[in-house]
Amino acid sequence: MAKNMVIIGGGAGGASAGAAAKRGDQSLRVTMIEQSPYVSTAA
Amino acid sequence: MIARTPEEFREAGLDVRINTRAAGADLRQRTVSLSDGTTLPYDFLVLATGSIPRLPDIPGIEREGVFTLKNYTDALRIKAYLQNRPCRKAAIVGAGFIAMEMAESFQSRGLETTVVYRGSLPARRWDREFGKLLLQELNRQSVTFLAEQEPVAIEEGVNNRLRLITNQEELDVDLVLFSLGVRPNVQLAADMGVKLGNSGAIKVNFSQATDSEGVYAAGDCSEVFHRICKRYTNMPLGDLANKQGRVVGRNIGGDAASFPGVVGAQSFKLFNLEVAATGIDEQEATSCGYHPVSTVIWGKAIPGMMPAAKQVGIKLVADSTTGKLLGAQALGEMGAVSRINVLSCALWGGMDLDDLSHLDLAYAPPFSSAWDVIHIAAQNLRKKL
Repeated sequence: MAKNMVIIGGGAGGASAGAAAKRGDQSLRVTMIEQSPYVSTAA
Repeated sequence: MIARTPEEFREAGLDVRINTRAAGADLRQRTVSLSDGTTLPYDFLVLATGSIPRLPDIPGIEREGVFTLKNYTDALRIKAYLQNRPCRKAAIVGAGFIAMEMAESFQSRGLETTVVYRGSLPARRWDREFGKLLLQELNRQSVTFLAEQEPVAIEEGVNNRLRLITNQEELDVDLVLFSLGVRPNVQLAADMGVKLGNSGAIKVNFSQATDSEGVYAAGDCSEVFHRICKRYTNMPLGDLANKQGRVVGRNIGGDAASFPGVVGAQSFKLFNLEVAATGIDEQEATSCGYHPVSTVIWGKAIPGMMPAAKQVGIKLVADSTTGKLLGAQALGEMGAVSRINVLSCALWGGMDLDDLSHLDLAYAPPFSSAWDVIHIAAQNLRKKL
């Protein structure tokens, strides 16, 4: 069964983790939680 | 800067839930509960909760026109505030690299800018010699620098929107930006029972895994291994978060990777100056058990006969027992950052001053001298061993 990956925080660290995991394993079910309206931002 | 939008992530097959918070998580059940009332089961959990700006506990801190700058939302809020109201004066509390970048940004927008700092010179990571030049550059660009002052209160303004009261004077301003650094946001991790390190950030290993099974951490909320100090620390910088995040993702996605740590490379621009540093200074070196010696030298970034030649200053710190490089700082109108990048590689590889004295660097008069300031500084410091 497909595994679940939950990411808390969609900033540089969280967004990179999600993208890299999905690249490695297409079957992963990835959910990214972000409190602001923006993800994958870099200051 | 936005690298990818939520829509782009969704197209790549990721479920992105914005405007949503994690209310809690259960390590035994392996679930995360969200602010919208739903509960998600996980096999892998990634804590990428970032950091929180430090703010002093003073009256008026909640007033409109008082800002911190940590993320994209903060930047949009500051921009909207400046666009919607006539603003003439800005105060920045703090003098780190973000404070310096914002001093340039505000001043360039035509705001009369004052930096309020409890220390005596800007950018305390850098030596006083370099700090004095940063101060000179601020003054040359008409930015006021108030040393040894701390904010006491923020009141409603009379001539301007706000009045920033320090322990020494009262400043009429339209905007106050607090730039006092950040602390790791580890509330959720602590509530869950995920182990924290000595720095107060989440403890991770080289795989970015925490002490809790299936739980990883990346970015400002986590620790990094400092390759020169040989210990874990918290270093909240976006480029590191990016790299750590990728290591987390590769490990979860089955393409094992490890994060090799940091040497502490950093740079910023202040008007006409490049400012950069890497590794550690004498004080940190002593606390890490080294016996530091150092030198500061000035030279031309490119040969003096070239019309564009400018001065660059370089400081090297080395261990007197082993001769190994421990850290470096550089400042100048050109060539500071490129040299710090070279010296970061030297630190990464564990080079000593003999290695650096004859290091094969790319030479051509438009770019460098045959004896670069790096060679000269290394040979100079070698004599002090």
